[in-house]
Formats: sequence, C-alpha cells, structure tokens
Amino acid sequence: MATQADLVSFTTQVSCPDDFDPFWDGVLAELAAIPLDAVINHDPLRSTDSVNVYQATYRSLDELEIFAWYSVPTVGDGPFPAVLILPGYKSEPPLRRDWAGKGVAALSVAVRGKLPSSGKFNPGYPGLLTHGVEDRDAYSYRGVISDCTRGVDFLLSRPEIDPARIYCCGSSQGGGLTLITSALRSEIKAGVSGYPFLCCFPESMRMLRSYPYDELSCYARAYPDRAEQMLETLQYFDAVNFAPRIQCPMVVGIAMEDEVCPPETSYAAYRLLGGQRELWLFPNSGHGNAHEYPAREAAWLQQRIGATPA
Amino acid sequence: MTSSPSCSVAFWEQAEAQLAETDLNVMLEHDTFYSQPEWDVYRMHYDTTNGHRLFAWLSVPKGEGPFPALIRMPDYASVHDIIYTHLRHRAVVMNATHRGQRNSDVIYRASYPGLLTDGVEAPHTYALLGAYADALRALDALAAQEIAQINAVALTGAGLGAALALAAAARRTHVAAVAADTPMALGHLSALQSGLAYPLGELGDYLRAYPERSEALAATLSPVNPLHIAPSVSAPVLLSAGRFDRSLCPLPFAEELATALPNCDFRLYDGAAEGGGHEHAIARGAWLAQRLGVNRN
Repeated sequence: MATQADLVSFTTQVSCPDDFDPFWDGVLAELAAIPLDAVINHDPLRSTDSVNVYQATYRSLDELEIFAWYSVPTVGDGPFPAVLILPGYKSEPPLRRDWAGKGVAALSVAVRGKLPSSGKFNPGYPGLLTHGVEDRDAYSYRGVISDCTRGVDFLLSRPEIDPARIYCCGSSQGGGLTLITSALRSEIKAGVSGYPFLCCFPESMRMLRSYPYDELSCYARAYPDRAEQMLETLQYFDAVNFAPRIQCPMVVGIAMEDEVCPPETSYAAYRLLGGQRELWLFPNSGHGNAHEYPAREAAWLQQRIGATPA
Repeated sequence: MTSSPSCSVAFWEQAEAQLAETDLNVMLEHDTFYSQPEWDVYRMHYDTTNGHRLFAWLSVPKGEGPFPALIRMPDYASVHDIIYTHLRHRAVVMNATHRGQRNSDVIYRASYPGLLTDGVEAPHTYALLGAYADALRALDALAAQEIAQINAVALTGAGLGAALALAAAARRTHVAAVAADTPMALGHLSALQSGLAYPLGELGDYLRAYPERSEALAATLSPVNPLHIAPSVSAPVLLSAGRFDRSLCPLPFAEELATALPNCDFRLYDGAAEGGGHEHAIARGAWLAQRLGVNRN
C-alpha cells in the first residue's frame, strides 16, 4: 500500500527528450494530411428514445480505420457538448449511453489493436505494449495516441457538436491517454484521468510484477541489449512528459492499493500538470475499483460541461 | 420470469456427449518470453466442440509438484488476461478462453457487445452456449496435460466468468472450490426490465426491440441460468456482489443465487459491478489459498 508520504517523496528518472515537441508536431502534421473519412451508421438495436447510438469509423495514422461508439442525445437542439472516452489496455471501449441523458454526446474509441479496429494492426494483449518499442517511429503507441487525437477531429467534424465544449476521460490506459491527448489537443476543455497507466515506465517496471508493465520487463529480460533503446523510445510516450503541456483543468484519480499502475507514478504525472489540477485519492481501493469513482467522474465533468439534463 | 430447468438436462447431456466425441488434442508451447524465474508460462491449445480450437495461458511453478490448480474462467470481453494472480507462485494457474475470444477465434469471432444476443432466438443458434461447453473443456484439458501434476482444482471468475465457473463446478464434481464474483444474471429476465447497463443491458435492448421473443429468450438461456445450476454445485462457493450493481449481478438475483447454492459464503459490498473491489480481492485470495492449501504471497 502506498502512503501520501510515498507519493510526495517519489521522484522519476524519466527525462524529456530535447526533440519531444518536434516529434509530436511531426505526428500531428502527418495526421492532418490524412483525410478523416468519418462515417456514422445508426444502430437501432442500441438506440433508445433518449439516445441515438451510431457505429462510427474514421481514418487515422497509417491509413487505419478506427471504430468508435458514438452516442448523441435525441432531446434538445444542440449543438451538444461531447465527452471523448478513451479505453483501457485490454478492455472493450464502453458504450456510454448515460451521457445522453445529461444532454451530452459521447465518443468511445476502440484504438488500433482492439476489436473491431484490429483488421490491419493486431499485436495482441499481451503484445501491444512492446510492439515496435525499439523505434519511436514504429512504436504501437504512436498510432494508439494518434487514434485518440483523431477522435477530437471526429467530434470537430460533426455539426451537432459544440466545438468549444469537448471533454475527455478514461481509466487505466484510458487515464494515461486522457493526459496525453489533452496535452496534444487544446480543444479539450477539461479531463478526468483515472488510475493512469503509461506513467514513469522505468519505475513502474521495477515496482510491479503485474501486466501490462511486466510485458516491458519480459522484453528487457529477453533482449537485454535492446533495453536501453526501449527506455529511450518510451520517453516519447510517457505521460509525465505530456503533463506539463496540459493547460486545461484535469483530475487525476489514484487508488492507493493499485497493483497495476503504481500510485507514485500517477502522482508524478499529477504534480507536473500545467493547468488547474485536482487530486482524488482512494485509500482502500485497487486498480479501477474505487466504488465512488464513476459517479464522481460523471459529476465533475458534468459540472465543467454545464450541461442541462435533457 | 424464468423458464423451467427441465430443458437444461437435454442441453447439458448433449454438450457432454459432443465433448466426449471430440479429441482434446492438447498442445503446450513453452513461452520463454513471458516465463519468469519462479514459474513457467505455456501457451495451451486444445479442441472443443464444433471444430473450435481453444487457447489458454498456463503457468506452472518451478519446483516439484504435484500442485493445486486454479482456473480463471474468461470475462465477457475479447481478451483474457495473461496469468496474473498472487497464487501463481504456488499453484498452477490456467486462464482459459471460450470460442470467439482472441486466440480462439479462427472459426468465429465474437463481438462485445454482441455475443450476448448473437443467435439468441434458439438454443441451437445461440453462440454463447458454446462458451459453457468450453468451460468444461478447460477442466478436461487441464487434467489431460502432462506438464504439471495436479492434486486439486479451484475455479474463479467474474461476471460471465463467474457464471461459467459455477456451471463447470456443477458438472465436474471434483472441483474443490469456486470463487464467483458478480455472476452474470443470465436467464433472469425480470432483472432486465428497468434499463440495466451493458453487458446485461444488451439483453434488455433485445427484448425492447423484440418483446414477442421474451419466452424464446428465456428458454434459450434456461440451461445456463445460474439459479437453475446452483443446486448442483456441491463445492464451497465464495460469492461476491455489489449492492448497486446494474450491469452484471443485480442485488435480488445475487441474494436468490446465494440461497440456491448449497454451500455458499456470500459477501455483499457497497459497490456496483466491481463488487467488493480491493477488499474482496484480498478476501478471495486468502479464501482460495486456504481451499487449495497454499500460502498466498
């Protein structure tokens, strides 16, 4: 179990490469040149009187087609605020129809590798975390992160969405991706990052023997000659290097008994946040299972959004 | 509203007969990448009914056996974890998939959501029923492998995995213990009436779209309704549920299930679908370690 003293005293050895910003500017420029090709198909089985559910697709880096669940309120004239929901490492993207009852659209993204976005890129689970990790330009998360930023482009392309009210949330990998996407896309006005993964890779590998981080430890054990290069690549994808670049209000939720994403590493990202920040500590909770977290996340975002329930 | 359990007998007899006619063809590949100093990891492959080949992760502690074993039945999701439990130091741990999940999807790839209603119009078309044969098959494959000697088997799972664990324990009476977290309330149609969240909400959506198929749905799900299965589970069961669960194991169902299980230790928490969360994870680990006679470390 971590204590608050453990969080405060923790320091990370992760440093930010000098060409961190140019690297990501290059990725975003490459993305901008790819047509979005957004398509939505109504899903009548999953739609209700209060929400229209669509199966959405859009194009991302490497010309991959990315799937997402897109839920839009049926009540109200719009334009609607929207929440971009980013997925956990191995879990399915959730279909979040509950936001529609609050007058908010929701886009829940299946990043590359996940069904049904896995047609042309499918390294597996485990596997995704080490796929291409020898090279920052070939690493899986260059694409995964692009798929998340492309979700913002999808929302901006929709006439029913208010471009000034786009928000972001997710837990575990989704928490890490919330931090990273909010740093890369200033259109995101606020976010909630729960139990964030992708923080302080070297320390997380040392502190835990649980997956997914253990995938990296297995890689380092199998290929000791490549371990240093792996850590160099990971600096470009570590959420602590994105945290200072986040200017919008952001919550970080930490479970003090977390055995998947060490609390100290989440806190390291929190204290580097560049904008207004808020910390939620859950003393008797493990990874992703704080009883009060979902309701608190919804309430905090709804307050920021200022939506009037339909 | 639940259907009579009488139609369950034919389903299970047919599943057992089909399994008996199908060679297991167990194959294990040592995975040097994911093996650890304290345990070896294997990729396990074996056959089940209707031509499907299944995948499981298997970890075996270093040292001399025999070992107790824990099978973790799969969640309602496309990915089933690689081995992660504190018991892996002292017990063989098998994470078994069902047909349609990743690595067991050559013939059929399941959708999530989607699997819960795929072919639900009739038992012979309902894709999910195959997962129950596959749960039995996991026990058979574990018994047949020759890498590790096994002296006791416990089952665990959450949501669908808990429902599969209970069903497998009902059919394989050598199972020593079952830790079932928030078992999916399949077949309990009265639980579907008031806007549940996914995954159970999938069935609610289906009934809203096709209200005239309610009886057919109940009949299809009847063989795997945990309330019908529970009286046949002789192993001790640690059952957990969340008081505010609206997506897997609603409270009235959990309470009824606890009553129907002959040897049940029921733990109710102030949570939702996560059940008891961290508190119960500790309790479950200790309970399983005690049943399997191993130290939890």
